[in-house]
Amino acid sequence: MNCLQAEEHFSAHFEDTLDYQTLQGFEGHLAACEACQHEYVRFQESVKAVQQLPQIEPSPYFMSTLQQRLATEERDPSSIKAIAATGWKQLLDGLRRPKWAFSGIMALILAAGGLYFYQEGSLFNQDAHQALVAPTSQRQQTATQPEVFSAQQSRRLIGDGSQAQQRSILSTPTQPMQQRYMLKQVSYTNASTSGGL
Amino acid sequence: MPELDDELMERYQKGDENAFTLLVRRHQQPLVNFIARFINDKDSAEDLAQETFIRIFKAANRYKSEGAHFKTWMYHIASNLCKNELRNRGRRDRYRVDNVVNRGSDSESDTEPIDLIASAPANPELQPEIALERKELRNAIQKAIAELPEQYRLPLVLRDLQGLSYDEISEVLELRSGTTKSRINRARLMLKEKLKPFI
Repeated sequence: MNCLQAEEHFSAHFEDTLDYQTLQGFEGHLAACEACQHEYVRFQESVKAVQQLPQIEPSPYFMSTLQQRLATEERDPSSIKAIAATGWKQLLDGLRRPKWAFSGIMALILAAGGLYFYQEGSLFNQDAHQALVAPTSQRQQTATQPEVFSAQQSRRLIGDGSQAQQRSILSTPTQPMQQRYMLKQVSYTNASTSGGL
Repeated sequence: MPELDDELMERYQKGDENAFTLLVRRHQQPLVNFIARFINDKDSAEDLAQETFIRIFKAANRYKSEGAHFKTWMYHIASNLCKNELRNRGRRDRYRVDNVVNRGSDSESDTEPIDLIASAPANPELQPEIALERKELRNAIQKAIAELPEQYRLPLVLRDLQGLSYDEISEVLELRSGTTKSRINRARLMLKEKLKPFI
């Protein structure tokens, strides 16, 4: 046992709680080390001095003051509010700590961001919904332009042989979106593959 | 044979208000002593001890004797109140120091340590010189205790001034037994060094 290890056992030896093996090592070290002997004597004296400090007595009014305070607590219905206020105070006290304040701010930013994107999302959905509920004529009008373009393109690609077939497809007045999809299919299937796919 | 604290709490929970008065009378002196030694302020100690009893009074219905002992529960509440008080004082002191620096002048009276020994009963049988010497030593000890870091001061006061066992201190401070023992030993070693000029 060295001096530092011996010092760790000062309290345990003073309170007589060392096990036999540690006690032998401690007392063996103390018998050989004069400095530790001296320090241990001072340690014992300072602990005894602390333990002998006089007890501080409460004032004679302690009990009566406490009873008054307890009576106020019992009478005052706002004590519940006081407890609630304490809860808020604790929360605010917590937010005064930098780590908690940072977490709080981050949570607020995330919540605000989430709300914003949620609203944006619902706007998109609203547009889509409006588009769905728009009159059929309006939808047809908006869908016609690309169809004409695809028809011209496909005519160029397919050639004259299939023009009659195309016409029959294009002449169908209903469901322009479906037409476009079909035209694209046709253009893929009948297109020249001379350049390779 | 006096009733146990837990039995008194049980009686109080059943509506016997005298049981609570008995508990207060039994623990008021050790509690005031503990708080005064820990925060180094007798006036605030009375206020905080009363606050501890008010907290106990309010939470009495939630108290279960199987969970914890009354004494350790009481010291746990008191320790937390003391820590809050010291934290608030730290904030107030920082604010005051800032103001003093900014203004360039102010009072110094309320930063003076309070003489706890003056309130202790004097022993009339002692010679005046010896009495003075002892008073100086006691003041030095109280000052040395007050200078210890909070995490060492609290277990030391509970052990050497309140006489709690290591298990009770571990329960009060919610620490492991080994940590409690090592902190108390460390606190005593620090005190030994601080009291070098006197012992």
